[in-house]
Amino acid sequence: MTAEPAVGLKALHSRRGWIGVGAATLIVGVIVPLLSVAVPASSPLHVPDYLVALLGKFLCYGIVALAIDLIWGFTGILSLGHGVFFALGGYAMGMYLMLSIGAQGVYKSVLPDFMVFLDWKELPWFWRGFDNLSVALAAALLVPGLLAFAFGYFAFRSRIRGVYFSIITQALTYALMLLFFRNETGFGGNNGLTDFKSLYGYDLHEPSTKVALYVLSALGLLLTYLLCRFIVTSKAGRVLRAIRDVESRAMFVGFNPTSYKLFAWTLSAILCGLAGALYVPQVGIINPGEMQPANSIEMAIWVAVGGRATLFGAILGAFLVNGMRSFFTAAMPNAWLYILGSLFIAVTLFFPDGVAGALGRLKRKS
Amino acid sequence: MSTSALSTVPADESAEKTGSSPSVSPPSAEPKKRSWSARPRTIDPVRREAVVAGRPAVLCVDNISVSFDGFKALTNLTLILEKGELRCLIGPNGAGKTTLMDVITGKTKPDSGTVFLTHDARDLTQLAEYEIAELGICRKFQRPTVFAGHTVYENLELALQGKKGVLSSLFFRLSAAQKTTIEGILEQIGLHEHAAVRAGQLAHGQKQWLEIGMLLAQNPKVLLVDEPIAGMTHQESERTAELLKSLAGERTVVVVEHDMEFVRSIAKKVTVLHQGSVLAEGDIDSVQNDPRVVEVYLGEPRT
Repeated sequence: MTAEPAVGLKALHSRRGWIGVGAATLIVGVIVPLLSVAVPASSPLHVPDYLVALLGKFLCYGIVALAIDLIWGFTGILSLGHGVFFALGGYAMGMYLMLSIGAQGVYKSVLPDFMVFLDWKELPWFWRGFDNLSVALAAALLVPGLLAFAFGYFAFRSRIRGVYFSIITQALTYALMLLFFRNETGFGGNNGLTDFKSLYGYDLHEPSTKVALYVLSALGLLLTYLLCRFIVTSKAGRVLRAIRDVESRAMFVGFNPTSYKLFAWTLSAILCGLAGALYVPQVGIINPGEMQPANSIEMAIWVAVGGRATLFGAILGAFLVNGMRSFFTAAMPNAWLYILGSLFIAVTLFFPDGVAGALGRLKRKS
Repeated sequence: MSTSALSTVPADESAEKTGSSPSVSPPSAEPKKRSWSARPRTIDPVRREAVVAGRPAVLCVDNISVSFDGFKALTNLTLILEKGELRCLIGPNGAGKTTLMDVITGKTKPDSGTVFLTHDARDLTQLAEYEIAELGICRKFQRPTVFAGHTVYENLELALQGKKGVLSSLFFRLSAAQKTTIEGILEQIGLHEHAAVRAGQLAHGQKQWLEIGMLLAQNPKVLLVDEPIAGMTHQESERTAELLKSLAGERTVVVVEHDMEFVRSIAKKVTVLHQGSVLAEGDIDSVQNDPRVVEVYLGEPRT
């Protein structure tokens, strides 16, 4: 019976799909780092450090795009506040990196520089434990998860949906941005956390550390992809799409939409936290600017451009839009926002199912 | 048909019994909605016995009133559904048929009154939609609503009775018995050939059958079917009549329908609603010959 849903690894992908995933992993996760580390800089095949750093950022954005696709593409809930979860994950990692600077800071104090500057005598209670990497990593996942859970619980239980929900998520990220801007909040205020030296004893300025972080991000993206793929091909994924399409019917066949939405929403926030934690050691800074409402909107645009509810399209969109961003902000810095806006309008008008959808149609035609 | 034309009907037996005034009353006269969260969540057993009164009842709607901004949609309505019966619910537009369905399935919370299954102590008006669905009360909407982006097979899989939590869905695999159930339903609703087709691509009548099939997959005790033959061809409605008749017996089926020919072809017992209350109840012939019913409903020329 072809109508029955497939199970196991076959459900995740067809044979050809698996070959595609394997090939992409090989190129991005193995060949690129090898070309950067093992090939001498004089060779034309050498991948320069700046490109590794750039791609490493894109890999983190890819995780964010997958997280947004899960909640928007598959569950139909447009979040315009995912930047806040990304930033919180980044801050948790940044706190660990701050504390591992130790007494090497400008003021030669064990306290982070900004605290010395504010004349604080000891670590605030919420900084305690962050000198331990596993605590910081756990916080990078749990803090966004808990915030999302609490926020989602009240929003979904009150049956807030559609554009109202999106607007509230904008308010959420804006409110947290204002909070983090304050020096008294204890996260470095305007400047955020920066000037990191080492991660788990490895010098962050060493090219080998950078490549290792890049490979970790690639691994993170692969695992996130497989997890999302597992969810959307399971019956739970079919329930999420059912809730997205006809919520009332899903309810009358016995599913509680609130718990399904809450699950997808919370998981999505946790994945963003992971992305933030991988991102910060690579870029060397985290500040409240990451929580700007416009940042979260841009994240949603990645998914819209790539194609919703395809997963693969979300990753593609993150790479495509950020690739264009890197190019245009260098080539014509003032035009980038106009280009981004026009891109979004063009995609909405002409490719409502994004690049992935357009590719799919081309494939069917040939 | 306008409701004002009907308000000239003289006070009849049922209206006296329920003590209802004409249901269209000025909005200002309406008392504020009672907070129902303070009401008991279970049914008083003495009350239950009194309502059931020894009948083989499955579902009881006890003295329900609903109003929307002063418009009384239902007034002290009581309805007892017996095990395995096929009941037709008729009545002019605005009589409260759909509101009654909404109350039973939890979509609308009544101002007063209770709904309960005879084997369960809970008051259904206190439960969420999905909880009522889990108890075995399923509903087919007026317009066919299936999951258009899912295949016919997946639609049935989603509807299938069983655990509906997130975790059990994540690791869900169809058992052999469940596959047999789905195959059986596909056969019964005549969509075996279309199992792998997206539900959105089905013809109108096929969607209606798929929706009935989804209700079957839920293995309900009570099936509420709202206008099943709206927009169907003659052959399609004949098939639907057969389908509905084959369902009653094991399950209790309630059908809301306007088409009297169709009602005559399926129903043994008919309940006529008028202005939010039960006007008459009985077999199709006695109801059809009831002068009050003739006046409010059947007497109207059909278009």
